[in-house]
Amino acid sequence: MSLSQQLAARLAPYIGDFNAQMWIKSVARRELGLAPEDLTVRHLTPLIDGLRPFLQTLMGRSTAENLLQQIGREVH
Amino acid sequence: MRFRSLAAFPLLYAVLFIAIAAFAWSLQGGVALASFTFSQRILVRVLATVGCFAAVSCFERGDHLRSAWLWLGGGTIVILIRDLLRLFPGFAPQGGDPKAQIVVTALGILSNLALLAGIWMLSRSWKMAAITLPGGRSGFGVVAVATAVIALTVTGPGAYTHLQELARGDWSSLVLVVSAVVDIITLCLITPLLLTAISLRGSLVAWPWGLVTASQLAWLLYDIAASLRPGLLPAGLPLPEVFRGLAENYLFAAGMAQYFVIHQVRRAAGAPVAPGALGPAVE
Repeated sequence: MSLSQQLAARLAPYIGDFNAQMWIKSVARRELGLAPEDLTVRHLTPLIDGLRPFLQTLMGRSTAENLLQQIGREVH
Repeated sequence: MRFRSLAAFPLLYAVLFIAIAAFAWSLQGGVALASFTFSQRILVRVLATVGCFAAVSCFERGDHLRSAWLWLGGGTIVILIRDLLRLFPGFAPQGGDPKAQIVVTALGILSNLALLAGIWMLSRSWKMAAITLPGGRSGFGVVAVATAVIALTVTGPGAYTHLQELARGDWSSLVLVVSAVVDIITLCLITPLLLTAISLRGSLVAWPWGLVTASQLAWLLYDIAASLRPGLLPAGLPLPEVFRGLAENYLFAAGMAQYFVIHQVRRAAGAPVAPGALGPAVE
């Protein structure tokens, strides 16, 4: 399973499958200039940094941070 | 299961309310019914306040949704205070004390503005969170126009009447004008709320959005019921109060759903993070 698929699978229960894929696609393009399928583990930190503001809006900073750290540990 | 129960609660409450209202009407007519509807109005305002502040409690200062829920909770408290003040003769709708009436009017306006601020903040979250709304720009436009037409049809005539009363120097109509304008704007904001809920459907975060949207739709039904000609409905069926209860209870359910969602995510994500480790606020 690719990094983008792993991330999307972990975000989907919280924000839905479609939004999870769109977030990853949007952050990958904007922050890294890459397509989602080209993402590798070394892109994880900038990806998580890019996802943070979106998740913070819906869950607050503390909860978003907890969730992103958990996701970061799981896909490493 | 917990979220489904929250979603079902306002509907069960409405059924129970209709049954008790009919019973009160059959026993003692209008006096018993008025007393019952007033007490249930206070009860649903208290419940809505509890829900809003439960939601506030799971966020930190600076979080976008904390501010939104704080405005909604604040607005509900203010309208609750206004309703309680109405128990005193000077503050009653037909009370003779002009100063008391100014206080009641000011509280009504404050409450409307606070609730509008809360709904406004919720309704712009989709943009801040880069949520992809279904139907794209054209879909958004179609739903927005349809909602605006419904909002104007339902509340427009009342707003125009109250505006004419205000122009004739009846300052007690000011709160009704502000309320009608706020109603129109708030009803228009159903579009982004509804589309956000649809976009998030099936996910955990969708619950509070869906329930807030249900609350706003119930306010729309309240406006429709309140604009009906007197005598059109059976005397023992206070339909506007049914929808008011539905709207406030859905706000309660939405606040509680927000609380449970955040706690569920926290449990799934492990131990809480120390505040110093957090990044800058989104706002």
